Amino acid sequence: MDQRLSKLSTRALLIQVILSTGESQTAAIDVIRERGEPIISEVVEAWRIGRISTLGEGEEVQVLIQVSEGQYEDLLTGSALTPSGEPKINRATRSLRKVLKRIVDLLDLKSPDMSKRIAAAEKLGLSQNEEYLPELRELVPKQSDKKVKAAFQEAVWISELKNGRIDEKISAVTSLGEVKSYPARDFIEALLKESREAKVERLDELEAVAEIALKKIDDHQKLVEVASTLVRGLSTGSVLLLVSYGLAITFGQMGVINMAHGEFIAIGGYTTYVVQNFFVGVFGVESAGFGWYFIAALPAAFVVSALCGAILEKGLIQFLYKRPLESLLATWGVSMVLQQVFRLWFGAANVAVASPEWLSGSYELAGISLSYNRISLIVFALIVVLVTWLLLAKTNWGLHVRATMQNRQMSSCLGVPSSRVNMLTFAFGSGLAGLAGAFLSQIGNVGPSMGQTYIVDSFMVVVVGGVGNLLGAALSSMGIGMLDQGLQPVLGPVMGKITVLFGIILFLQFKPGGLFAARSRSLDD
Amino acid sequence: MAVLYRDTDLTLSAEGVSKSFDGFKAINDLNFYLGDGELRTVIGPNGAGKSTFMDLITGRTTPDVGSLTFHQPDGHDVDLCKLREYQINRLGIARKFQTPSVYTQHTVRDNILLSLNRDRGVLRALFYSETQQDRDEIDEVLEIIRLGDRRDELAGSLSHGQKQWLEIGMLLAQKPRVLLVDEPAAGMSDEETERTGELLLSLEGKHSVVVVEHDMEFVRQIARKVTVLHQGHVLKEGSFDEVAGDPTVKEVYLGRQKHTDAA
Amino acid sequence: MSGRNSLSSLAKPFDSRTEWVTFFLLAAFVIIFPILSQMGMISSFQVGVWGKYLCYAVLAMSLNILWGYTGLLCLGQCLFFALGGYAFGMYLMLMIGEDPVYKTALPDFMDFQGYKELPWHWKPFYNPFFAVFAVVAVPGVVAFIFGALAFRSRIKGVYFSILTQALTYAATLLFFRNEFTFGGNNGFTDFKFIFGADIREESTTLALFVASGILLLVVYWGLAWLLKTKFGKVQRAIRDSENRVRFSGYSSTHYKVFIFVLSAIIAGLAGALYVPQAGIINPEEMKPSKGLDIVVWVAVGGRGTKFGPVIGAILISLLKSWSTRAFPEYWLIILGLVFVFVVLFMPDGIVGLFEKAKAYLRARKGGESDSGSSNIPVEAK
Repeated sequence: MDQRLSKLSTRALLIQVILSTGESQTAAIDVIRERGEPIISEVVEAWRIGRISTLGEGEEVQVLIQVSEGQYEDLLTGSALTPSGEPKINRATRSLRKVLKRIVDLLDLKSPDMSKRIAAAEKLGLSQNEEYLPELRELVPKQSDKKVKAAFQEAVWISELKNGRIDEKISAVTSLGEVKSYPARDFIEALLKESREAKVERLDELEAVAEIALKKIDDHQKLVEVASTLVRGLSTGSVLLLVSYGLAITFGQMGVINMAHGEFIAIGGYTTYVVQNFFVGVFGVESAGFGWYFIAALPAAFVVSALCGAILEKGLIQFLYKRPLESLLATWGVSMVLQQVFRLWFGAANVAVASPEWLSGSYELAGISLSYNRISLIVFALIVVLVTWLLLAKTNWGLHVRATMQNRQMSSCLGVPSSRVNMLTFAFGSGLAGLAGAFLSQIGNVGPSMGQTYIVDSFMVVVVGGVGNLLGAALSSMGIGMLDQGLQPVLGPVMGKITVLFGIILFLQFKPGGLFAARSRSLDD
Repeated sequence: MAVLYRDTDLTLSAEGVSKSFDGFKAINDLNFYLGDGELRTVIGPNGAGKSTFMDLITGRTTPDVGSLTFHQPDGHDVDLCKLREYQINRLGIARKFQTPSVYTQHTVRDNILLSLNRDRGVLRALFYSETQQDRDEIDEVLEIIRLGDRRDELAGSLSHGQKQWLEIGMLLAQKPRVLLVDEPAAGMSDEETERTGELLLSLEGKHSVVVVEHDMEFVRQIARKVTVLHQGHVLKEGSFDEVAGDPTVKEVYLGRQKHTDAA
Repeated sequence: MSGRNSLSSLAKPFDSRTEWVTFFLLAAFVIIFPILSQMGMISSFQVGVWGKYLCYAVLAMSLNILWGYTGLLCLGQCLFFALGGYAFGMYLMLMIGEDPVYKTALPDFMDFQGYKELPWHWKPFYNPFFAVFAVVAVPGVVAFIFGALAFRSRIKGVYFSILTQALTYAATLLFFRNEFTFGGNNGFTDFKFIFGADIREESTTLALFVASGILLLVVYWGLAWLLKTKFGKVQRAIRDSENRVRFSGYSSTHYKVFIFVLSAIIAGLAGALYVPQAGIINPEEMKPSKGLDIVVWVAVGGRGTKFGPVIGAILISLLKSWSTRAFPEYWLIILGLVFVFVVLFMPDGIVGLFEKAKAYLRARKGGESDSGSSNIPVEAK
């Protein structure tokens, strides 16, 4: 290879390709072939659609890329420039375009970005284009990363299904079965069909290995589907758990029907939004500090919602204990007011809450994609359950809560500061709703009617779990989440949800008290 | 159902009945027989299963094992475990609750009217008209419970003791064969208590009556045969003096009674 | 007393003079309003608006017999209203006739969705009698199934409320679906003819107003009668002590199912009359928040009172229409605060307040209170 050329920058090489012909052009192309820079595909594309022009003559010639109407860039430097004369459009010959297209197609195979390399290998493999097979084969041993190597190897096998010799085909089928390649499934079937029609030699052998391979792939796929349904069910369940746990405390433990519970979720969402904006103001969007806003938003959402809850309890709820239906009505009024307040302060449209870097993206495990959002949601739900349990079981406050819930009058006679306990309990329940809101801001919309989306679901969870039973609420969220996600692939999202709702209504026919009915001996319960 | 062998004069029998809530055995292998026209007093410490026993008879809950049988005068036996509350009530088993349970927003008279032993279906209630007989029966009951002069007042305005009486009156209006009376003397003055005792005694012979009571003075007043329940099981049955003299009963029940009295 | 005979009280369902006066004032309104409109003193638009309010009043009454008198707070009353409305709306959709764009007799949303033929369950709705039957039957059957299931398993109080809310929520989701064949989120609109008359004619507006008024008066009278019968007494007894009712030999389940179905039918009738006056029915009408709106009407007017729901529905609707124009941004806040205020300080609503004032004046005059004439239960707190 020409040592002089390989020292040139890719941009300079491209200029040489554009301006020269014959051998010097081929030499430049050969060097470019080894480079994986994105500018190559940019220039090739621009050249194809007639946006490469030249300016000047002889030694002074400049190659320009037209960025938009009247806007040009110097290819050599990449800087914007206003042409001094009329640029002359340069076009590539057809044969040259074909060569270049191949280079571009293979470009990503050499990209320094691993995920790009994988994607390119998959794409080329699935195209089953014979031309790329040698290239792919050649590149397999060069891959140092295990994942990338596997992807390249898979691409080679898939390509071989069409382009290989019969013995290669058979071994490719076997290998694809071993790696349980789902994308290869259709190609194996196509190969089988084709081979039968063509009555190729060693058909029996091919059929036998194909059958095994298909079965392996299918079995694995089923496993993946079940597992991802499970994961999705767990994360849906976690959402339900987060939104309903606060309600399980205020409704279940205190007997207060808080229709404004959804609005407390929204308060949490809006608090997150405000904290985010604060961080943008102080640190800027690009800074590392911004990524941490969510960590700050969680306690803030809890505190703000809890404060609002405390105010609501002091101002309204405390007059309505023992009148659950009326607490329902009054808090509905509060819910209307809050929704409108959100609209007035933040506008009627949803507000944008960005996910911090570390919460986006996903992790692949044996074919199951686990987004960080979902994982953190599940973990977070678990933490909420644990912390709540610890607080209720191990603290003085928890003891007071449990006593007050069992008999409000008795415990206040026994010196439990019941009005304080009530306020704290309600504040805690509301705070949990706020936390839920902060988390929901990462997976859904934050808007004035955000809470309304979740309120019916939350009540269902609590009722199904058995009112007054936090463990029941946790189990029923997970159960409903699983059921919902299990039905969705079959019935579609809305019909799935409707079926779940009707299912719950029917379930309560047989277990009116929910999963864990609280036994009570008092008469008019 | 075929007429099987039956004891000549039983109205109610419970055999081998057990019921547990979340692992707690509220009723444990209980056997109980109530004679026709008998006045029976049931005593026992808190948690002995007295209320649960009444719940079982009246259909509020069903037993885990055992049989509950109602013996009708015509010789038919009815399995109570399969019936709902209102069906059991229509057989002639009436129940008074521990806390007086009356319709506070209705007049005293309407409380009795609604309790009359008439067809209680939905359509009949829609097109129901009072008859002279209905009025007579209402007046009769009002006289027994001595609330005749307050007939047009709302039941919610009655005193606690009067509500207890009203509820007993509502039971009487049903003309039941069996009355289950849970702590009738609770919250009553001494005079009211004594009159309640007289009333219950006067029912003897006409109705079978089961009285659950805590107040030992009151029990002494009305006691014929006394059943002592302990941990969901019959500990002792006999006359008041027999029961009161029994050392085990003293230990589990009377001993505690003294404690609570002292407190 | 007349109240002791069920049939004779059908002719005289009201107890006190105040109640008779209230009824005749209502009747006078229903008669005079159209007359004033004929004389040109009230615009046809106003007649249409008030016709809708009368439907709201009937809807509020249907909730009141459930909540006020039986203690069953149904948060899904809007569902029955909407079901009645949809059933009648189906008839109205079919009466539109051939549309100019698609040249088919199908409702236009079916044209959009590529239907070639009317689905089977739409066909009977060409017949107006069937439509009226469906207005009664559909809410009735839904209420019967749901009520029988819920009451059989003793679901009550807050649980009943939450379940009815879930039911109406599920139904809303269902009606939002295009493939449910009820027009998806657009619902039905652009009606043209009703029983052969042009729906935009002034006389039709007037007729619909009168029909709504008559429905209101009939329901008002009928419910007053119902409350005087033994059935009505059992109903209120269930509210106050359901166990005692059961232990007095009544199947409270049967009573509750009956009353639930009755209430659903009344709501359905109101919905059927509302739809041609509003000119539209869509799933928005059955959203859970609408169900709570009805609860607001009843609570503000006075639950467990005969006139309360009527006054509540009309007052809140007037307040809404005024304040959405005067303070569009603050309307929900006003309504919410009114509601909180009513729950805290006026548990018996406007009518309750009125009764209390009357009792107070009477007490000051030194007169005896006659408990027989009051139909306001004093809530046991």
